Amino acid sequence: MRPVLIVAMLCALALPAAALAVGPGGAIPRIAAARLGDSSQRLELAKLRGEVVYVDFWASWCVPCRQSMPALDRLFRQYQQRGFRVVGVNKDVATGDALRFLQRVNVSFPLVADRDDAVAKAFDVQAMPSGYLVDRNGIVRYVHRGFTADTAMELRTEIESLLGSGA
Amino acid sequence: MRIAAAVLAAAVLAGACTPVAPYQRGYLARPDMAMEPAGAGTAKALEKIYPAKEAARGGASIGGGGCGCN
Repeated sequence: MRPVLIVAMLCALALPAAALAVGPGGAIPRIAAARLGDSSQRLELAKLRGEVVYVDFWASWCVPCRQSMPALDRLFRQYQQRGFRVVGVNKDVATGDALRFLQRVNVSFPLVADRDDAVAKAFDVQAMPSGYLVDRNGIVRYVHRGFTADTAMELRTEIESLLGSGA
Repeated sequence: MRIAAAVLAAAVLAGACTPVAPYQRGYLARPDMAMEPAGAGTAKALEKIYPAKEAARGGASIGGGGCGCN
């Protein structure tokens, strides 16, 4: 078989995975997830259209999440009156681990569980923590992988920009 | 033929590998996945017990008469 044909076949195999990745300019996946610790309630991401939303993937075993969660909570409290929402998608294997983490680092924004990885797969999460800042039209505008003090400052500027622009 | 057999063997062995996505690392963070799974001090305790179980104590670093009295 010709090498060119083999390369073409490998590219074709890689395409579906590349197409799934959510990046800036892409639409937020239309997906729902159960609330953390209360599977009877579900949160649909599509219903948050019209607001600036930050979808954050976190876990108790993720070290930078100890920094990102309080920082996101501060941003949420500061900007929620202007239409900013945060949704924390938990990636712990056991819910108990997440709840123990929340006893130390309590947050006021809504949290959902993702036991079957459906939400993480829909976003094609590449790192922990990962955050997707979505504008009022449901379009992902910024993606943050990892979290440092600089990320918090960048995020504040981006949120201000999206809340101000009306997009 | 040999190459084909090697490729087949590699393919079979590769089937045993499972990629762990970044968001699935909670499985690797479980206590039973640790290098020292049963808690702090276990490896040290095993190191002490193992030679006794195998009747291999003595002679590691100190010379002795082989009396078996440890």
